[in-house]
Amino acid sequence: MPTDRRTFLKASATALSGAAVGGCAGPGATEATLDATLLRALGGAVLPVGELGEEGVERVVSDFEAWAAGYDPVPELDHGYGTSEIRYGPGDPAPAWAAQLEALDLEARKRHGPGFAELDAESRRDLVRRQLAGADVGPGNPIAATHVAVGLLGRFYESTEATDLCYGRTIGRLTCRGTAGAPEEPRLLAGSAVPEPGA
Amino acid sequence: MPRVVEGDVCIVGGGITAAMVAEKLSAERDARIVVVEAGDPPIPLEGRFERRQRLMDYGENPWTNDHVPDQTARGIMSRSMGVGGLAMHWGGTVPRFTPEDFRLRSLYGVGADWPLDYGEIEPFYQEAEERMGVSGAPGPPELDPRSQPYPMPPMPLSWNVLRLKEWAERSGIPFWGNPEAKTTVPYDGRNPCQRCDTCNICPTGAKYTPDFTFGRLIQAGRIDLLTRTLVRRLVLAEGSDRVERAEAVDRDAPDDPVELRARVFVLAGGYTWSPHLLLLSGSPRFPDGLANRSGNVGRFMTGHRNVQAFVEVPMRLYPGVFGRSSLLSKRYERPGPLDAYVRHDLRIWESTVGRAPRLRDDDGRILLGDEVMADWRARSDLGAARLRAYYDVVPDPDSRLTLDAGLRNRWGDLLPRLDFKDAPESARLRQHTEDHIRGVFEHIVRAGGGRVLTTRVDDTQDHPGGGCRMGNDPATSVVDRWGRTHDHENLFVVGAPTIVSGGCGNGTLTFCALSLRSAVEIGREFPERTA
Repeated sequence: MPTDRRTFLKASATALSGAAVGGCAGPGATEATLDATLLRALGGAVLPVGELGEEGVERVVSDFEAWAAGYDPVPELDHGYGTSEIRYGPGDPAPAWAAQLEALDLEARKRHGPGFAELDAESRRDLVRRQLAGADVGPGNPIAATHVAVGLLGRFYESTEATDLCYGRTIGRLTCRGTAGAPEEPRLLAGSAVPEPGA
Repeated sequence: MPRVVEGDVCIVGGGITAAMVAEKLSAERDARIVVVEAGDPPIPLEGRFERRQRLMDYGENPWTNDHVPDQTARGIMSRSMGVGGLAMHWGGTVPRFTPEDFRLRSLYGVGADWPLDYGEIEPFYQEAEERMGVSGAPGPPELDPRSQPYPMPPMPLSWNVLRLKEWAERSGIPFWGNPEAKTTVPYDGRNPCQRCDTCNICPTGAKYTPDFTFGRLIQAGRIDLLTRTLVRRLVLAEGSDRVERAEAVDRDAPDDPVELRARVFVLAGGYTWSPHLLLLSGSPRFPDGLANRSGNVGRFMTGHRNVQAFVEVPMRLYPGVFGRSSLLSKRYERPGPLDAYVRHDLRIWESTVGRAPRLRDDDGRILLGDEVMADWRARSDLGAARLRAYYDVVPDPDSRLTLDAGLRNRWGDLLPRLDFKDAPESARLRQHTEDHIRGVFEHIVRAGGGRVLTTRVDDTQDHPGGGCRMGNDPATSVVDRWGRTHDHENLFVVGAPTIVSGGCGNGTLTFCALSLRSAVEIGREFPERTA
């Protein structure tokens, strides 16, 4: 974490205002690392811990870190039919996301004394809600998310695992699974307590 | 001095229709075939799992650099330019046109009849299906006529789509699975589909893409394929109407011009680049471009518009069981006698509209933690479906591709501009057509249960074609019923540009069938292959 809080606050305010209009750092931006402790504290507050469990949250957060690190800024995007436009994706969102994590921590300290990671889950969610008030919360491409919490949730909720959890079935969306099982109703997900419709 | 490349047949363009012509000609005739393509070879099959993953992770174009940087156009066009063309991206959906499509003037008094009928193209539909490997099960014979079975058993309908079929057929409209250029059994060196559900990049090679054909032909020494070579104009022989050469630029050595010489030239550049090349190839004797004595090059650009609805259905569906699985009905492609012309297909897919996870509820409150999943689950008891109808749009003569005086590529060539326009009868019937389709959607929902959430009209013209339309009369068409230009006996145009009207469904199979039929005529110039 930065030691010079005044400098940091200035930087994070800039990052947040950029994020509010959908901006991200450009391709030449300094590579930013997301603070692992703060990111896990965020995951524990905004992900469905009751369903994923702590191990599941760790798995989702680790996947998010690897995914964010693997982004190649301003990629050529998939183009469909009927348009001559070649579109490109956003710059690296990591600097803004890192600044937002730091801002959550700073605000926690100013409001409550302890840092963000030391707060209980409801207090952490309260701080996240304050930062997200009025923000675009999607849905959309998570790499273009204007807030790290939206990026983390977007990445998780587009996963195969999230769909399976929601429906309590092993659907396996977007996995290469052969066609033989396609006509069958997806099997119940082990341990799922999702009620059947109308139950 | 230009670098000269000689062959018997020069095919300009390296997409799916070029692959069909090259494969058929090289198998049946003794001819040296040169295929010239402006773009690059595609990502090899071995790299496609990784590309697929990055598409899913970040939305990256899995076919990076599948276009030539400033080879573009204004209007409805697609940038893919490379070996395999748009058929690297395509979904592989391959319905046939119906017999009515070829006789619009005779049956309904609109548009124009084609110079061939369904019976003449039917064997070539079959051949195209066999060459690309199509899986399917026919619909009722009165709606989906065919003389032979599909080459492969159908793709199984997903659990969701089976439920939707039962739901939709309560309306009395029969539905069946869409035929697809994807394998269900080992076929022609390809493994069966693995249901990855990212057909715009099939990581296993189950979906047909033309690079497979070109790879095989190159390996067998049957063709030469020049890539990164952009043909800029066709030039006639002195004092003759025969095309003598194509002048091209090698994108890696732009200062060293390339000349392609052949007995027969075949334009397989699709609806944008084939008419564009003809218009670019003007000369003092042909100031308006080649094959354009009638002034019809670039005219009658055609396609179909669509109306779609998202509906809530009274059953639970599981999103992602097989998102590409879909239903087709040709009930309204073969409507029988009509008071006012309206023809369209009908398609149904599963949908997640209104059922996606969200972070803000209906009251605008931010959802976090377990409440996101709870909110999502609460909205997933009932499923959703997408209904879509492509309806036939009769093209106006002024539905045109022209050279855009304000747009040039780096070599100074004018680039195309496409302006689609409905013929007066189509413009007049547009409201009636779209109201009719909405009525069909409402009928299906009334019979099956549920409710229409939204409907919308997509104003673009999908699966475009035209610009070199075929006909028997040289005054009103560019090519004859075989794709041979009326004005130049050794110049053919194949595929999408030659169609007379856009029909009611995906056009690629029809473009391929027409191209294979053209290959028969092209082949008559050459001796039969003996070895």
